[in-house]
Amino acid sequence: MIWKKSLDIFLLGFLILSIGCVSPPRKTLGPGSPDDLPGCYAVFPAGPWESVHKIEATIRGGSSSLLGVTKGDPSERRLDSLLLTPEGFILFDAELRGGQTTVRRAVAPFDSTAFAGGLMEDVSLLFLPPKDKPTGWEKKTDGTMICNWRGPDDSHTEVTGSMEGGWRILRRNKYGKVIREVVLNGPFFDGLASRVELRAFKPAAYRLRMTLVQPSP
Amino acid sequence: MKKILFLSLLIMTGLFYTEIALSQDWNSLKEASRNIRSVKADFLQKRFLQILTKPLLSEGKLFFNTPDSLRWEYLSPLRTVMLQKGSTIQVYNFSEGKWKPEMTQAVEARRMVPAEISRWFQGRFNETKTFKHAYSPGPPARVTMVPGEGINRFIQRIEIVLSARPGVIDRVEIEEPGGSRTSIEFKNVEINSSIPSEVFEKP
Repeated sequence: MIWKKSLDIFLLGFLILSIGCVSPPRKTLGPGSPDDLPGCYAVFPAGPWESVHKIEATIRGGSSSLLGVTKGDPSERRLDSLLLTPEGFILFDAELRGGQTTVRRAVAPFDSTAFAGGLMEDVSLLFLPPKDKPTGWEKKTDGTMICNWRGPDDSHTEVTGSMEGGWRILRRNKYGKVIREVVLNGPFFDGLASRVELRAFKPAAYRLRMTLVQPSP
Repeated sequence: MKKILFLSLLIMTGLFYTEIALSQDWNSLKEASRNIRSVKADFLQKRFLQILTKPLLSEGKLFFNTPDSLRWEYLSPLRTVMLQKGSTIQVYNFSEGKWKPEMTQAVEARRMVPAEISRWFQGRFNETKTFKHAYSPGPPARVTMVPGEGINRFIQRIEIVLSARPGVIDRVEIEEPGGSRTSIEFKNVEINSSIPSEVFEKP
């Protein structure tokens, strides 16, 4: 009897944990009304911008607080990204031009190619819309937008939300598993969210909580 | 030949006197700081970056007890504190309602800060091996520090502007290759007020 109860608790625990690991299913959408299409880009800053965020990173149980400085120009798909210590030391300085990342300066442990690639991918996910037109989109009656993009490597990006209720961006790999989840909450300043939480699941798991300190269009 | 000899003698004498003057300057700086047992101050840090139109502003507090206890605390935009007591340096961040140890405290660049600041507040500007130093009597008096090979990839020059008040630093300017720079202004400086030892031990 006790053994059966233990088994039930184990199965319940396993079920709860499994639910936590299962990626939410992707909603298949076709092209919606052309009038609604601009809504898919509302979460991304529209013109040239610069920003300062305070970043709290949680990786493998450890935590780190840094400052993130980003400058972008969506029309040229250009991004400059810096990570600084509170004292102002530059730990990482890189640029993204035409899909290519160039690291200008990086100190250990921020000097690996994998870190540079991962960070610039995260920054792009947050601030630049996917390059091509969405494959499907829909505007719900309450104003919520649902937009899907398919990437060249068969990855998928899903953007859901509104300026009033906040946004969620999901990036899935080619197997449909969620590898990044971003939650953006207002108030928004020229398309920049005041609070951002990014969770990475694969290949490495980490969480970034970002608070907008200094927006400057 | 006589002319060359005379000229050489003149240059050598000049160099000799400059050396004595410099050593007197360093000694007078040390002398001015001799009576300092503690320093308490607020600071405003302005970080000028090439990619930012406006400087990034940070505010904080500094506590220093001779010879090597330092609390360098940022209150905004990040709440973080660096504690030095003797050779032990700890860094904590205030996150989700509590202080958490900083994961990247091994970053060498961060560890340099308390070591240098402790020296500066004791007037021991010329004791660092990392930088070459020069003194200009002003007013305002300034100490210019130029780093050697390696660190000059990150820091081009540090200028410490001294207050008319003996032993007090008004401002520190740090210049980097590429035109970025940092300015730290000290305000509300209190000298020799009592600072409890736990200030340097607990975040």
